[in-house]
Amino acid sequence: MAKWTELQDKSFLEATARERAVGIVDEGTFTEFCGPFDKIYSPHLPLMGEAIEYDDGLVAGVGKIGKKPIFVISQEGRFIGGSIGEVSGAKMVKTIQLASDLYEEMVSEKPDLPEEMRPAVVISFETGGVRLHEANAGLLAHAEVMDQIQNCRGRVPIISLIGSRVGCFGGMGFVAAATDVIIMSQFGRLGLTGPEVIEQEMGKDEFDASDRALVYRTTGGKHKYIIGDCNYLAADSIRSFRETTTAVLQKPMEEIETFRRIGSMEKIKEQIELVKLSVSLKPKDSMDVWAHAGNENPESLINMTLDEFLAQAKRLKA
Amino acid sequence: MEIMMGQGRLAIEKIVDPESFKENTIGESSFEDNEVGPGAVVGTAQIGDQDCTIIASDAMAMNERFPVVYAGIIGLEEGYKMAMAVYKTIEADKEKKGTEKRPILLIVDTPGNGPGKQEEIFGMNKSTGAYQLALAEARKAGHPIVAMVIGRAISGAFLCHGLQADRILSLSSKFETMIHVMPLTSVSVITKLDIERLEELSKTNPVFAAGPDFFYQLGGVEELVEEVDGMRSCILKHIAEIREMKAAGEEARLGPWGRGALGEQRGGRMIRGKVMAMMDKQFFAFAEQNLY
Repeated sequence: MAKWTELQDKSFLEATARERAVGIVDEGTFTEFCGPFDKIYSPHLPLMGEAIEYDDGLVAGVGKIGKKPIFVISQEGRFIGGSIGEVSGAKMVKTIQLASDLYEEMVSEKPDLPEEMRPAVVISFETGGVRLHEANAGLLAHAEVMDQIQNCRGRVPIISLIGSRVGCFGGMGFVAAATDVIIMSQFGRLGLTGPEVIEQEMGKDEFDASDRALVYRTTGGKHKYIIGDCNYLAADSIRSFRETTTAVLQKPMEEIETFRRIGSMEKIKEQIELVKLSVSLKPKDSMDVWAHAGNENPESLINMTLDEFLAQAKRLKA
Repeated sequence: MEIMMGQGRLAIEKIVDPESFKENTIGESSFEDNEVGPGAVVGTAQIGDQDCTIIASDAMAMNERFPVVYAGIIGLEEGYKMAMAVYKTIEADKEKKGTEKRPILLIVDTPGNGPGKQEEIFGMNKSTGAYQLALAEARKAGHPIVAMVIGRAISGAFLCHGLQADRILSLSSKFETMIHVMPLTSVSVITKLDIERLEELSKTNPVFAAGPDFFYQLGGVEELVEEVDGMRSCILKHIAEIREMKAAGEEARLGPWGRGALGEQRGGRMIRGKVMAMMDKQFFAFAEQNLY
């Protein structure tokens, strides 16, 4: 694998899950758990004649950013679409639990634990959710992940990174929504139902899944930034994702909690207002929402560079 | 055989004390706009001698603002309404001790989340994600949460409405209950294995096949219920057990985490525990060198 310094300018979109994991933390600090040399793979895939990977398509481990222990989960879309099975699910659940347990231990030893030492979790999503070859185990693992996320609330910040080719869909769309902070690139996509399924449900006239521009407008980073579902838009490099993550983690836990979209009655009331807007606006396209947010020429936002976009785009206030 | 699928409201009547269900009321609070989220039924009933929050789907309701919501689908409005019902429940009992919090009963019969364009533009993933977080918060605050599958418990919809419960019960397969991510026909398309082969495989491995029996083997369902009239007593039994376990500090045996251990005990999910044990060991070695 390329050196850490070389990884920094690598496209986040093109990088592998392991490159993202190594590059997102400080140089030389990443240690992988249940890595390829441990040869823990899905026992279910061979039964179905499917190839296995010795990391089951998910890189888990721990590194540091400054003094903070950073627990990293990075999904690999090149292996069965980054899908979650029994092994990859267990790795994800356990990584979050280790972060939570470490925080508990550190606080019990040092009740006034300085913010700069507070552990955090960083998840790079590249997945459509449950792996159908072992769907039941994958689904149950999703519920365990949500349970661990709730355990971390107000204690261990969880940051989502979404800038991969597969995006973040299915059950993992819930998981990302439930984390504290979401950082996307304009190439990242976040949602629940993938484009093909929407086309199947609504018909090609309503939603043409082969129209890539439409697909990106509906769930892509720029739209999610305008509507408030993602907190930051990063450039498409590991460096940019790392620097944005590092900046967020400088903030105290209470402030990080304010970045959330859901997770309390107050947050939900804001979301219900957004649903009312959806009812009154009846958007045919995301651009209807962009226009409502005050972007007079929404179409011009589509091809803007990141810097132009960040300087000009107006975001929705529910 | 009495099939309960599509009859969430009838199931409420069969389970709770006669005529005790008050829709749209939880504690002192009522739902301001009863028209929002018609696919979700929320309210308070008495079960035994206790107030109990009820959350169910109404398979007969259509949501005219969101045409993808029908037949029990959980849409944008429904997810937030269900989440709100949970937060109102937490609010209603916030002065009570953990051991005295009212139970929450989820009556599960839902085929999915709203799959539309408008839903994706506004973020359907937040709506039902919000509901899952709310349930996890209530469970950790001490509310006993029981999910009772009476019909369909499908994929992401089951994830939101069911899988965060302390205990999950299901009418057995003779009631045509369905628990799965995708039917075997879809698994067949993805895996390129024919249905006969998959059915053969499912006899020894419950990990992909559809149905409550397979979820039982994986620890994803605690108990199968063989009679419609048996639902009430089984739910009451589990509420009492959950209370006892929470009072004894045994929360780790409940909820999604508890079902992980149960899956291993029943021989269904055997590698999950090995992965976690290895990570514990590796992290301990790492921490010794790097963190202390």
